Amino acid sequence: MAARKFGVVYRKELMDTLRDRRTIIGSIIVPLLMFPLIFLIILFFGVFVLPKAMKESPSVMLKGEEFAPALARALRAEAKLQVVPYAADYVQQINDKKLRGVVEFPTGFEENLKNKPAETQTVKIFYYEGEVRSLSVVRQAEKTVKAYGEGIVTQRLAAARLAAADVSVFALEKLNVASAEKVTGNVIGFILPYFIIILCLTGAMYPAMDMTAGEKERGTMETILVSPASRTELVLGKFLLVLSTSVMTTALSVISLAIAVLIGGQALAKVGKGIVVAVSVKSAAVVFLMVLPLAATFSAALLAISLIARNYREAQTYLAPLMFLVVIPGMASMVPGIELNNRLALVPILNVSLLAKEIFAGQYHWDLIGLIFLSTCVYAAAALYAAVRQFNREEVLFRT
Amino acid sequence: MIESQGLTKIFKDKKRGEIRAVDGVSFKAQPGQIYGLLGANGAGKTTTLRMLATILKPSSGTAKVAGFDVVDDPEKVRSNVGFLSTATALYGRLTAKEFVEYFGRLHGMDEAALAKRIGVIFDRLDMNEFRDRRCDKLSTGMKQKVSIARTLVHDPPVMIFDEPTIGLDVMTARVIVQFIRECRAQGKTVIFSTHVMSEVEKLCDTIGIIHNGKVLAEGTLPQLRERYAEQDMEEIFVKVVGE
Repeated sequence: MAARKFGVVYRKELMDTLRDRRTIIGSIIVPLLMFPLIFLIILFFGVFVLPKAMKESPSVMLKGEEFAPALARALRAEAKLQVVPYAADYVQQINDKKLRGVVEFPTGFEENLKNKPAETQTVKIFYYEGEVRSLSVVRQAEKTVKAYGEGIVTQRLAAARLAAADVSVFALEKLNVASAEKVTGNVIGFILPYFIIILCLTGAMYPAMDMTAGEKERGTMETILVSPASRTELVLGKFLLVLSTSVMTTALSVISLAIAVLIGGQALAKVGKGIVVAVSVKSAAVVFLMVLPLAATFSAALLAISLIARNYREAQTYLAPLMFLVVIPGMASMVPGIELNNRLALVPILNVSLLAKEIFAGQYHWDLIGLIFLSTCVYAAAALYAAVRQFNREEVLFRT
Repeated sequence: MIESQGLTKIFKDKKRGEIRAVDGVSFKAQPGQIYGLLGANGAGKTTTLRMLATILKPSSGTAKVAGFDVVDDPEKVRSNVGFLSTATALYGRLTAKEFVEYFGRLHGMDEAALAKRIGVIFDRLDMNEFRDRRCDKLSTGMKQKVSIARTLVHDPPVMIFDEPTIGLDVMTARVIVQFIRECRAQGKTVIFSTHVMSEVEKLCDTIGIIHNGKVLAEGTLPQLRERYAEQDMEEIFVKVVGE
């Protein structure tokens, strides 16, 4: 009987919620569109704006060109640089972004290279730090100047009857051993746990307020209280609905993110900038399982708190500080250097954030996973108990 | 049948301390009769009726409604009560039919019986025209009918009306008054609260005058008229309360 009644409550709340434009927008449409939109914007910059900026050969001036005819020729031959005539106000021009850089050769540069090999010649590059086109001048000019320098070194070695191998003492090679999953784990795993936690909370917020403070505001609280459903059945029905919405919002967002990344990834691959996203099905499933009791905790806590409010607006005021309580531990995954241990595994929200990061990185510490799952279940049960208690408090239900 | 014994409700208020909203209220309401609870605003009418409907728990004392104790068996009490007040609003996003169905299901009715019962009620209250319209799109009169249909869906033996006509226009109020009479005619126990003297004179078999949480006088209209030597209900009320 009890089972049937909270099912009845759940079904009604589901129907009611699905007809509420506010909930539909907040819990379904926004999460579905948010990530693809964010991604499109990033993509737009990544594919169209940035490459265009990179492709456009930046302007560069040569100062003291007469001392370096050969190197100047090499620089002029470089397709990625556009050499413009020298003007004395070059610093001002770089600041005004009219000019991207200047290469300055010291007096008698090439002569000295030939005749005074013991003297070190300094080539100066003027640029604007942080500016993409200016940095590209630095990169290109450096490359050309170094190549020219190497040519001279080879000549000098030949003159001394030495080969390049004679002066190269050892070779250095860097080898990456992290799996593709781990590499993405470091990038995606930083942000995704935080996103998931925030989504769980925001997804639960609208329906929780609507079914408590909203009912008071619309005057239906008394109507439902005179029905034969017990307060516990009412709470359970409402709780399940809030939980469903929270999980649905989170799942939809993650799916929309995945689609955005897949489509965006292909578009990026076309322009030769493939990004590797390797979140395995296993890690997604384990994280989902871990998030479930967390979503339950949020749902019950939100119900318990927003029931105190007399109306929707008041409920929003009460829930705003809760957002901070969740955001701060939720950000743990983005803070480098926090390592999960047995003690942190008991800190709500923070534990799931850190664990999700580990899981996305392909690490499965099953003892911690078990511990965190259990502790989160305990928090969920406590929050649900608090919600049931709230629904049995007359001064809360009939607060005027 | 409603039998209350020493029903008391104490509210704790931070500023004013303990408030005895209802203070030892005892009365009996019989099947096929209307018991009217007459009192000014804040006299304790709503609190008394909410305790009878088990929305509030009594601080002390108890009541039996349809044979069930409000403290020990609140869910059974609610299964046997139809409760209507101007505060009991409708779910605006449900249609009239869905709304009544919801409460039928909460009463544990099976779908076949529920469909039949809704057919009967909607015919009788002439609600078929707007059965599939959302409640927030209904007129005040239509909304009242939907509320009535809700209280009737499980055919309860006891009806509780808490100031059911307050704020309603004349025509809508008449629908409610007519409905209360019908309940009596069907042999239901009816209790209703009001501060409108004329409603009491028109409707009630037994009248209880409540003031500051206490029932100060009780009786049929003729009994009260004789006891206080006044014809007019308002004069009787003033005498009782002024004592």
